[in-house]
Amino acid sequence: MQSFKTASDRRLLVVFVVCVGATLVLILGPALYAIQLSLYEAKTFVSPRTWVGLDNYARIIVDPAFWQALGTGLVFSISAIVLQVVLGIAFALLLNQAFPGRALMRGVAILPYLLPTVVIAITAQWLLDGSLGLWTHWAQDIGFGRPHWFENPVSAMTIVVLASVWTWTPFVAVCFLAALQTVPASLYEAARVDGAGAIMRFFHITLPMVAPMLLVVILLRSIWMFNKFDIVWLLTKGGPLNATEHLPILAYRKAFLQFDLGGGATVATLSFMLLSILLAIYFHFVPLDEKEARA
Amino acid sequence: MNTRRTAAGRIGLFIGVALMAIWSFFPIYWMVVSSLRPERDLFSAPTLIPKTFDRELASYHNLLWLTDYWQQFLNSLMVAGVVVAVSLVMSIIISYVISRYRVPGKSLIIGGMLYAYMFPPMLLAIPLLAIFARWQLADNLVGVIVAHCTMTIPLGVWLLWGFFKAMPMHLEEAAMVDGCTRVSAFFRVVLPLSLPGIVTVAIFSFLLSWTDYVFAFVLVSSDSLKTLPVGLASILGSFDARWGELMAGATLITLPLLIMFSLLSRYFIQGLAAGAVKG
Amino acid sequence: MSYDDSKAASPHNARRRSLLVAAASGAAVLAAPAIHAQQTKTLRFLNAEPSRDSVAALRKAADEYEKKTGVKVVIDTVPPDDAFGKIQAAISSGNSYDIGTLAFAGHVLILAEAGKLVPITKLVDRHKWGPRITFPINNEHYWYPYDYNFCWLYYRKDMYQKKGLKVPDTWDEMVHNAKALTSDGVFGSSQPLGANSAAQWMSLGYMWADGVAMLDDNFKLILDSPTMKPKVVAYLDMMKALYPTMPPGMTQAVFATVLGQFSGSQIAHAPYAGRLMEVLEQRAPDLADKTGFFMYPDSEGKHKAVNHGYDGWVVMDTPQREESLKFMEWFTENHYIDFLHSAPLHFQPARMDVYEDPRWLANPLIKKHGELVEFMKSILTRKDVIIRSVDTEGPRVDLRPAKMFETYAILEALQNRLLKDMPAAEAVDIASAKYRTVL
Repeated sequence: MQSFKTASDRRLLVVFVVCVGATLVLILGPALYAIQLSLYEAKTFVSPRTWVGLDNYARIIVDPAFWQALGTGLVFSISAIVLQVVLGIAFALLLNQAFPGRALMRGVAILPYLLPTVVIAITAQWLLDGSLGLWTHWAQDIGFGRPHWFENPVSAMTIVVLASVWTWTPFVAVCFLAALQTVPASLYEAARVDGAGAIMRFFHITLPMVAPMLLVVILLRSIWMFNKFDIVWLLTKGGPLNATEHLPILAYRKAFLQFDLGGGATVATLSFMLLSILLAIYFHFVPLDEKEARA
Repeated sequence: MNTRRTAAGRIGLFIGVALMAIWSFFPIYWMVVSSLRPERDLFSAPTLIPKTFDRELASYHNLLWLTDYWQQFLNSLMVAGVVVAVSLVMSIIISYVISRYRVPGKSLIIGGMLYAYMFPPMLLAIPLLAIFARWQLADNLVGVIVAHCTMTIPLGVWLLWGFFKAMPMHLEEAAMVDGCTRVSAFFRVVLPLSLPGIVTVAIFSFLLSWTDYVFAFVLVSSDSLKTLPVGLASILGSFDARWGELMAGATLITLPLLIMFSLLSRYFIQGLAAGAVKG
Repeated sequence: MSYDDSKAASPHNARRRSLLVAAASGAAVLAAPAIHAQQTKTLRFLNAEPSRDSVAALRKAADEYEKKTGVKVVIDTVPPDDAFGKIQAAISSGNSYDIGTLAFAGHVLILAEAGKLVPITKLVDRHKWGPRITFPINNEHYWYPYDYNFCWLYYRKDMYQKKGLKVPDTWDEMVHNAKALTSDGVFGSSQPLGANSAAQWMSLGYMWADGVAMLDDNFKLILDSPTMKPKVVAYLDMMKALYPTMPPGMTQAVFATVLGQFSGSQIAHAPYAGRLMEVLEQRAPDLADKTGFFMYPDSEGKHKAVNHGYDGWVVMDTPQREESLKFMEWFTENHYIDFLHSAPLHFQPARMDVYEDPRWLANPLIKKHGELVEFMKSILTRKDVIIRSVDTEGPRVDLRPAKMFETYAILEALQNRLLKDMPAAEAVDIASAKYRTVL
C-alpha cells in the first residue's frame, strides 16, 4: 500500500474522489431520505407529514407481523443462498472441465440470469397453473392429484426459493468460474503428482484460493436475497395468508398500499439496521485490511 | 485442466452436465414453445412436444406490430450500453485505488457502497426522481442510466477489488521501477490480467440494467422512453394478457439477449480463459 | 522503455477528458427535447386504460385538440394498478401530470386533502349521474367519472339447457347449478380467492346481496355485529360449498384468468363485467351467443347484487390548471363517447345522458347486445339491486374503507374457510380484528 506521492498519483486521487463522491451521494442521498421518512407519519409521498419521532418504531417493533416477516425473510434468504452457492460451485466445477460443447453449455447455464424477473415469474406461474400448467399435469400423472402449489404455505415458499435459486445460481457460477481461472494449473499438477485425489484437491487448493471471491459473492448474495422484492411479490404477493411475506414486501405494502408511508420506511430502516449488524459481524471475521496488515 | 479421466468420471461429468442443461433450459424451452402454439390449444392438456404449431404466429404479430416493442428494445439497449461503460470505468478506478493505495476511511467507502442494496428500490426511486427533477432530468433516460449505475458500481467495486487484491503487486512495481507511472502500469500489466473479472463485471452490469423494472418505471413516463421490462409489465397489467401473448412477450425480451449473448460468448469465454493462460 | 510524467499523462488524460465530454454532450442531447417542449403549451395526461383502442381514442382526441387550439396534449399510459404511484412520483419530483386517471375514491380523497386537485364541480354538475359514482368531498367534485365496472355473473346458456337448469335466484340454486355443471373437465364455478383486487371484485357479490355491510354510518365496523356476523358466516359456508366446483389454483387467479377460463369453455359461470362479452366477440364469437348473465343472488331470493367498480379523471393543481380545465371541458363534451366506445360494453356509462345519446347507441357491439345493455342499465334503476364494494363502505368517501380494501381481510377469511377449513365464525373474527387495526 502506498500513499499518493507523484503528480500522476494525485491526479488519480482527484478522479477517485470524484467517482466515489458522485456514487455515494446518489446512493446515500435517497437512503437518508428513506430513513428520514420513518420519523414522520405520512399517508403517501404527497400527503402532509407530521413529525412523530420514534413512534413508528415503537409501533412496528411490537407488531407480530414484523417479526413474522423477519423470520420468513431469513428462511427465504438462507435457503436460497445455501442452494445458490452449492449449485453455483457445482456448475462452475462442471463448466471448468473440458468437454465437447462446453462453450454452448456455458451459455446455457447462464441463461436463467439473463431473464427479467417478470419473465421468470410469468413462466413459473404458467408451468404451475392450477389447470393448464405442465408440472401440474405431471404431478397428476404421477399420482399427486392436483397440487395447490400456491395455496400451501410450504409449497409456496419452496416455489419462491427454487425460482430464486434458478435465477441467480448462474451469478455464483460465473464468479466462481472466473475465480477458478486464476488458480494456477501448476498447483493442481503438483498435487496430483503427490497423489492427491480430486476431492482433496478441491478442498485444499481450490477452495482456499477462491475463498476471498467466494466470501464476497456470499456477502453480496446475502444482502440481495434478504432484500429481494420482485420475485416474491410477482409470484405470491406475500401469500398465501402472509406465508411468504418478508420485510421488503411488508415495507412495500405499508408504504404504497396501506397509506402508511412512515411505517413502510420504518420497516425498511429496521431491515437495513439488521443488515448493517450482520455486515459488521462479517467484517469482523473477514477484515477489509487483511492485506494491509500483512504488507 | 486434467485431461485423463476415468470412465466413471466421464459418465459422472456427462450426467452432471446434462442435468445442469435441463435444469437451466427447460423453463425457457417451455416458454418459447408455448408462445408458438395457437391460443386455443393452450387450454387443452399440455404435452412436452407440442402437437400443433401456430403458423401465423399471432401472438408475436400482435406484440411486435401493435406495441412499442422496437422502441423499448432500443431504449433498453442504449441505457444498458452506457451503464456498462460508465460502471466499468468508475468501478475500475475506485477498486484499483482502494486496493493499491492507503486510503483513509476505506471501510466506510466500501461499506457505504453496499447501502445501495440495503433499501427497497421503490423507496429509493422516488427521492432519486426528485433529485433528477431538480436537474431537469425528470423524464429522461439519463436519469435511468445514473440510477442503474448506483446499482452496478457497488457490485463492480466489490468484485474487482477482490480481483485486484489477489493480484500480487510486484508485477506493477516491476513496471514502475522501469519508469511507468502507476496509471500506465495499470494499463500495461494489471488490466490484461484482470480481464476475467472485468468481463464479468461488464456482463453483470449489462444484465442489472437490462432487467431493471423499478427505476425505469419510476424515472421515466413518456411511452417513447420506456424500456422492455416496463413494456412487458404493462402487457401484464392489462386485462386481456393471455398466456400465449405473455409467453411471446417473455420470449421477445429474452431472444435478443440470447442472440447477443451467443455472439459475445466467445469473448466472454476468451476473457475467462485468458486468466488460465497466465496461470 | 522509460516514460516521463507529462508524456505518459496526456493520452490518459485526453481519453478521460473525451469520455467526460461525450457524457456531457450525451446528457445535453437527451435533455434538449425537454427544453424545447417548454416553448409550446403542453398538457400531460396520465391514462390508466392500456388497451390499444383506448389509447388510440385518447391520442385521436389529443391530435384534434392540438389542431384546434395549438395546445399539445401528451398521453402517458400505465397499467391501472400503477396509476396512483405514478401520480405520486410525478408530484414529488415537481413534475406533476396535469390530468390523471384514478380508480379508487380513496386516492381522490388523499390528493384532494393534500391540495393537489382542482375542483371541477361546475363541469360535473352539468350532467345527471347514476348512483354511487360521483364522490363529492366537502360538497365539491374533484373527480369526473367515465365508467362503472360492475361485476355480475355470466353463464353458458347451452350448458344450462342441456341439464335443464334455470337462472338461480338463491344461493342454494346457484350451488346446485354449479354442481350439476361440474363434469368432463368443465368446472361449475370460478371465483378468485387470492388476496388481490380481482378476488375482491369478483367474489364478494353473494355477500353483498344478502345485505351485509361492513361499516355503519359512523365508520364503525359492524362485520361481526350480532346482525351481520351470521350473514357473513352463511356466506363463507356457501362459498365452501361452491369450492369443489371451482378449478384449482384460484388463489392465483387474476382478472385475465377468468376471461381465459370462460372463453376456453373450462367454466360454466364466470364473474365479470362487460369486458367478458367483448373478449368473447373477439376470441370465441360462437360462445358470445351462448352466454347469458344474471346478478349475484342472495340466500332468500329477495335481492340481487353487483360488486362496484369505477374509473374517472382528476385535474391536478399545476400552473396549467386553466388549460387543463379547458381541455377537460372540450373532451367531455366532444370525445367522451368516443372514449367509451373503445370498450363499449365494459365502460358502462356513468353519465345518464349517454344512454339516450344516439351517438353512443350507434355502436355495433352495443346494438348487438341490446339485452346486455338493458341489463346493465337496470342495475342503476332497479330497487332490489345492491351496489357495493369494500372501498365504498360507509356514508361518504373516506380513507378508512380504502385501508380496509388494502388489507384484503375478507379474502383471507375466505381462504381460511376454504383452504384451511377454519370454522366460519373464527374466520370472521380474525378478519374483523384485522379491519379494526386500520380503522
